[in-house]
Amino acid sequence: MSRLARVTLAQALAYRGGQPMLAWLLHRISGIGIVFFVSMHVVAAFLLYSVQGTTGNVANALTDFYESTPMQVFMLFAVLYHAINGLRIVILDMWPALMPHNREAMWVQWALFLPMFLLPAALMVLGVTV
Amino acid sequence: MTTQTSAMGKTKTGGRFELYAWFFTRATGILFLLMGAFNLIYANLTGGRGHLDVGAQMRWAFFPISSHVSSTSVEVTPNFANPFWQAYSFLLVAFAATHGFNGLRVILEDYVQHPLLLTWLRALLVGIWLFVLVAAAFLVFVLV
Repeated sequence: MSRLARVTLAQALAYRGGQPMLAWLLHRISGIGIVFFVSMHVVAAFLLYSVQGTTGNVANALTDFYESTPMQVFMLFAVLYHAINGLRIVILDMWPALMPHNREAMWVQWALFLPMFLLPAALMVLGVTV
Repeated sequence: MTTQTSAMGKTKTGGRFELYAWFFTRATGILFLLMGAFNLIYANLTGGRGHLDVGAQMRWAFFPISSHVSSTSVEVTPNFANPFWQAYSFLLVAFAATHGFNGLRVILEDYVQHPLLLTWLRALLVGIWLFVLVAAAFLVFVLV
């Protein structure tokens, strides 16, 4: 169990953790986002379908929301970032000898993430069928 | 287990549960990558190619269930309403929920200091986790 450091919000914002802090923060935020969205999605479908079947205004509105471009681009960002950053964490955990190369691994991670995110995101915004 | 002091001056004792949770998170994380790649490749090899927009490809890679491609021209129900895909889908969503709620537990233990509050929040997480599992089982096995 951990103990909270006593820092003010201004101190926290001024803390320059650089790349590792950004990775940690994005991993946490994307993880929380995915758990909340997936749980909401599963429970909403369960409650909706068990009450009124697969049709209805609420079901259509929810589907429109899920399949809207901003929502899909956001989910792609969260899941893809979490996956690639998680892969880096797993690799460094399995081979701790690679830890001195963590900083380079983070740049490799961006080099993988950016095309894998930007290309499908652009195609989704343009509405292309593959 | 040995007690070690980390760089931040905290004392940490490793327990069996924490070790298993740590391993589970890593193992299922790798599994999700493999399952996502498998979902994407299999769907495109079995008739999805040319019928799915990028969003549908993505939704299908995340989770292979017929409602994820119901807005496209792909008919998936005959191919996927069998025990193998039901078991596969349920394992995927169950592992994902467990991976995610364990992650929320780790985050809570970072920020919640009051032991009694932490116990209640843990119990709440277990309750929501079980409810999600039941809901997912209904969607995968009953609704398809």
